[in-house]
Amino acid sequence: MTLTLTLRSDPPARVIGAPLIPERLLGRSASAVRAISLRCGGDTAAVGDLFEVSGAGGERDRLVLAGDLRRFDWIGAGMSSGQIEVRGDVGAWAGAEMAGGLLRIAGDAEARLGAAYPGSRAGMTGGEIVVSGDAGEETGAGMRRGLIAVGGQTGAGAGLRMLAGTVIALGGIGAEAGLQNRRGTLASGRALDPPPSYAFSARFRPPALGLQLRRVRALGLTVDDALLRGAWARWSGDRTELTRGELLIFDEENGGR
Amino acid sequence: MSGYVLGATEIADTFAEAFPMRFARLVITAASETWAMEAARSMTGYATSVIGCKCEAAIEMALGAAETPDGRPGIAVLLFAMDREGVGKRVLERVGQCVLTCPTTACFDGLPHAEATMPLGRSLRYFGDGFQGSKVIGGERFWRIPVMEGEFLVCESVGVGRGVGGGNLVIGAADVDAALAAAQAAVEAMRGKGIALPFPGGIVRSGSKVGALTSTSLAASTNHQMAPTLRVQVDDTLVPDGVNAMFEIVIDGVSEEAVRECMRRGLHAAAGAGAAHVTAANFGGKLGEFHFPLTELREAP
Repeated sequence: MTLTLTLRSDPPARVIGAPLIPERLLGRSASAVRAISLRCGGDTAAVGDLFEVSGAGGERDRLVLAGDLRRFDWIGAGMSSGQIEVRGDVGAWAGAEMAGGLLRIAGDAEARLGAAYPGSRAGMTGGEIVVSGDAGEETGAGMRRGLIAVGGQTGAGAGLRMLAGTVIALGGIGAEAGLQNRRGTLASGRALDPPPSYAFSARFRPPALGLQLRRVRALGLTVDDALLRGAWARWSGDRTELTRGELLIFDEENGGR
Repeated sequence: MSGYVLGATEIADTFAEAFPMRFARLVITAASETWAMEAARSMTGYATSVIGCKCEAAIEMALGAAETPDGRPGIAVLLFAMDREGVGKRVLERVGQCVLTCPTTACFDGLPHAEATMPLGRSLRYFGDGFQGSKVIGGERFWRIPVMEGEFLVCESVGVGRGVGGGNLVIGAADVDAALAAAQAAVEAMRGKGIALPFPGGIVRSGSKVGALTSTSLAASTNHQMAPTLRVQVDDTLVPDGVNAMFEIVIDGVSEEAVRECMRRGLHAAAGAGAAHVTAANFGGKLGEFHFPLTELREAP
């Protein structure tokens, strides 16, 4: 049995969902899971008050969160192993500073997906985040390692101060992407005006991105064959940093040929 | 001879003697099968015998686009050496010189769950002169080495497995044409998953023995017992009457079972293709821990 938390109704205030990660819940009884306290606005709420709990006590390293969780921030934040499957939208900071495992969101994610906390040296340091819908602003900000794949678009400022790692947005990366990016990869499945601190380097078929797109497809996103076979423009930046980051933009006008 | 007969083919009552070896399996992909094959041929060149080439390597099989990690046509290659370090050194040299250099290729580990590994991309990355980068994809690290055409993608390390080297069949017939035709038919049947036939076209005409009669410094010399022209010059000839040409097929496999079944396929194919005599080479059973008696191969595959 997979531990499944099904939202009963919208919480009265925004909730910090960070405690709901597989490594903390693995093997706990249903009553123990229900008793976990979550910060809800200026107050606290028990998991059992917010969710129906089923499948507790199992050994599977997997957690399902079902319902509209837009008022839940920090879902999957700091997780280092296991798998979270969210059946619905999530709030901000999902997967923030995640170190490993898989966070799969069947819906939209708000701002700072997989990002670094303010003042932190690095954001996500490992693992995979897959969002079927759109992601908000500053997706992957401060990211050091790992993969963020978005089926739709990201908001503005994706990859801000990114150290390394990969952000893929099949529906397109938003404006002002990759500012102060050092070694990270941002891949946009739609046309995009690169920031002035990026310069065009080449048009080619990036083999690593092809492998990553196959991985993303295996994780459940719909990846058009044209993206796999086609050519991408590589823009190098941020030239105010190392110029070792890259913005890969699918050559849509030429159908990737 | 007290073996048995398959059709018109006499099967000698003897056995092939083989040795433990270590091996790596690489999957080379490219924009087309042609280029993947070019890289694979280059990489497995000059790799017939571990005695002279430090490794034995051959193309295992062609892989369709659906069978490779990056969805492009590929060729699986097997490389055998005597120990793990030997496998690692030879793989690194050969991928560096023959695959990295070949247009459009990428190189993947074909033994992802092996207990032991040796570095590949981890070492080869330095060719990138500081411009290289890496990506962890699905838990596995790959290196991106910038090249004049774009990027060479190579796995961080390769798995090293325990295999068997030196299985063999020796196929004889009344003349060279008939012996070669039977050997070619055998090779056709023997190639496949888990098998490397490292000699040219899978066939060797210069079977060897350990050491030499006339020198103490030679590691190997001609197998005088199986040379038809020496039939009356030596006391211990193994060339039967009526046989005027013999070819050997050397087999390296990923397991004892793989070698045995490969020999079975080859023996029956050779018999069906006009071989007069099938035997095997061994060293009296004193050197190799794996013995493959031909009597155990009587049942058709």
